[in-house]
Amino acid sequence: MATEKTDVVIVGMGAVGGILAAELGKAGMKVIGLERGPRLSTADFSGQDELRYFQRQDLRPNAKRQPVTWRASANAAAKPLPILNYGNQAGGGTVHYGAVSWRFHEDDFRVRSQTIQRYGSSAIPKDSSLIDWPLTYADLEPFYDRAEYELGVSGKAGNLEGRKIEGGNIFEAPRRREYPLPPLLADQSGLIFEEGAHKLGHHPFSTPRAILSQSYHGRPSCTYCGFCQAFGCHVGAKSSILVTKLPEADTTGNFKLLTGTMCFRVNSDNSGRVTGVSYYGPDGSTNTIEAELVILATFIYDNTRLLLVSKTRKFPNGLANSSGQLGKHLMAHITPRVFATFEDRFVNIYMGPNAQKHSLDDFNADNFDHSGLKFIRGGQVSVSPADLEGGPIGAAMSMNPPPGIPRWGAAYRDFLAKYFARYAAVIAQTENLPYADQTIDLDPTVRDQWGLPAPRLTYDWRRPNELARIEFLTGKLEQLAAAMGATRYWRSPMGAGAPGAHHEGGTRMGDNPKTSVVNRYGQSWDIPNLFIIGSSTFPTMSGFNPTLTIQALAYMSADAIVNRYKKNPGRLV
Amino acid sequence: MTEHDPGRRTFLVRAIVGTGAIAGAELVPAQTTESPKEANASAQSHSGEDRHGAFFNRDDAATVAAFTERLMPGAPGKPGAHDTGVLHYIDLALAGAYADLQDFYRHGLAQLDALCRKRYNEPFVRLNAARQDEVIRALEQGEATEFTWPTAQEFFNTIRTHTMEGMFADPIYGGNKDFAGWRLVGFPGAQPIFTRTDLESKQAFSRAPVTGL
Repeated sequence: MATEKTDVVIVGMGAVGGILAAELGKAGMKVIGLERGPRLSTADFSGQDELRYFQRQDLRPNAKRQPVTWRASANAAAKPLPILNYGNQAGGGTVHYGAVSWRFHEDDFRVRSQTIQRYGSSAIPKDSSLIDWPLTYADLEPFYDRAEYELGVSGKAGNLEGRKIEGGNIFEAPRRREYPLPPLLADQSGLIFEEGAHKLGHHPFSTPRAILSQSYHGRPSCTYCGFCQAFGCHVGAKSSILVTKLPEADTTGNFKLLTGTMCFRVNSDNSGRVTGVSYYGPDGSTNTIEAELVILATFIYDNTRLLLVSKTRKFPNGLANSSGQLGKHLMAHITPRVFATFEDRFVNIYMGPNAQKHSLDDFNADNFDHSGLKFIRGGQVSVSPADLEGGPIGAAMSMNPPPGIPRWGAAYRDFLAKYFARYAAVIAQTENLPYADQTIDLDPTVRDQWGLPAPRLTYDWRRPNELARIEFLTGKLEQLAAAMGATRYWRSPMGAGAPGAHHEGGTRMGDNPKTSVVNRYGQSWDIPNLFIIGSSTFPTMSGFNPTLTIQALAYMSADAIVNRYKKNPGRLV
Repeated sequence: MTEHDPGRRTFLVRAIVGTGAIAGAELVPAQTTESPKEANASAQSHSGEDRHGAFFNRDDAATVAAFTERLMPGAPGKPGAHDTGVLHYIDLALAGAYADLQDFYRHGLAQLDALCRKRYNEPFVRLNAARQDEVIRALEQGEATEFTWPTAQEFFNTIRTHTMEGMFADPIYGGNKDFAGWRLVGFPGAQPIFTRTDLESKQAFSRAPVTGL
């Protein structure tokens, strides 16, 4: 059993951990980073292999050894989820993600007040725990800007300091300057999506992505190989934390990364402070790090689980949980899909970065009038391969054939043979509301490879507000498919209530210690030397992918720690 | 890359379950014409589309070959499960990456056998194609009370998944022989780069041959 001392220990070396490690290291703080997976490199990704990375999820947690269980309601039995959609290595999910990089809308930060102002308080479902964020878009804008420029994001501005620009996303919040890199090239699916969307009067644009459209900071531009979402980038053009902030953290001389380590406890004393963490080493050894500052930067399940399993006599309901809000308000994106096939052309959708290739934002957030619609908030709409991944295994597993064609046999073989290179999926990614009974807690029976109780999700998106939103958006997807010139289009069946991608919530931030777990900086209200940073702090989720907002929050927290907390350790709010 | 050994392949095609390749044909297990010793030898061979022996025994290999061929039947110019080596893929996977599914397959195949013998007095491989499809449809729709664990639908879904993997995974895993699965659907494999012209093209991609790992 080893014990060592440091200024800061960061648990999890993904989107948040890498940024904090580099920024705090640069400020002279000694940082130890714990990462349960390995540290891979671009050279590890030379074999682009759909079976290994998409189908067998090689860059994601092993669902059997690191189970997460799910049940639709508190009355149901929880079962392990078959697929875990987050990272399991240094760089976290940014290694395998599709790199879609949005800034949230201004009204994404004030959903409750925006809704009441426009539609009255009766528009908010009674059982929803909808709140505003304790910060505004303007507060976060400088950090969005920093993330885009330091990491490298390609896109076209649609709102430069209030000036709307066609070709960019005219619904985006105002930005101070253009993206650092021009948009990625559109492929055939993007071109027909754009044409169809224009016909309907929508406002399509190339999705902003943390993928280099030109060489940048010594890294080469994208080769459009198509092995993107679910894969590591074989040239390092994806601006993952692995190729951006971790090398930067290395050069500070103040950063030590411990891979293959599993943090199982945050230690605290009777004074109400945390003293460090305990972890299992790769050899199974039990080790301790004593630190002045503890930062939890894991995926939302583990942030909540670690706080729950670290309970003491002083903190009987888990660390940082005097509010009783820990583990509540779980959210996840749900993605209705419409598949479209074309007779007059090939689409070859396996080419190019494959997640949300081309987008429109007309039906997201409060960008459209919801009067009389029986739901609030919306979803982001885009064109993609079947499961955001373009290979034939993905198509065979994720695309239901059109009505009348079975999932197997000669007719199915002929369907795949003819349409694999002639299809596109039009998808929506919905903003679901927070509900207090959508929770993460500890599974009473299932344990992971380290003997820790598995995180257990209790969640079912099938609520009236969410079902109405999905029906509305699916109708829009069908209109788009028709306008794109599809000769046939059909819906994908919706699932049985399980959470989709991009989980949020569990350690929600707020401006009141009685009703939230952390403040705007991710600092625990109860324990000032404990920070929890990531999408677990999101009070609401937006229809946009969360990563750039997670990264902007990480920059903002790093800034507050370096410039304020370091000089005067205590509550920042 | 796949290994090619024409001699051994010829031997194997003669010896075992290659009859599964013909869509709709009556499937007669090869053991009726072979001594146990020969059967054992062939089961341990490692060549040809239907090669197996890393995990499956002879009867199970024949059943899986026949079952997967109905899921993705071959036809002239349209390679199916047999042509692409799906059995070989599943056999290797169960001996390696999917070793934790060995009992799942053993139980599933035993239940399938019991179901077929109960309903038709014949094992699956001896049923004609229409009957085989009837059985598969019953599994897919969960109309097979003979199944407990795995359930009929679990068993169907797993075999379907593994059939698609064997058809379309890189040949390094033992299926997708000579890229036949990729050629069937027009997927060019692990291309390191696409140009602007490729991206904007409305034509089938045909610039370079299919490439694998």
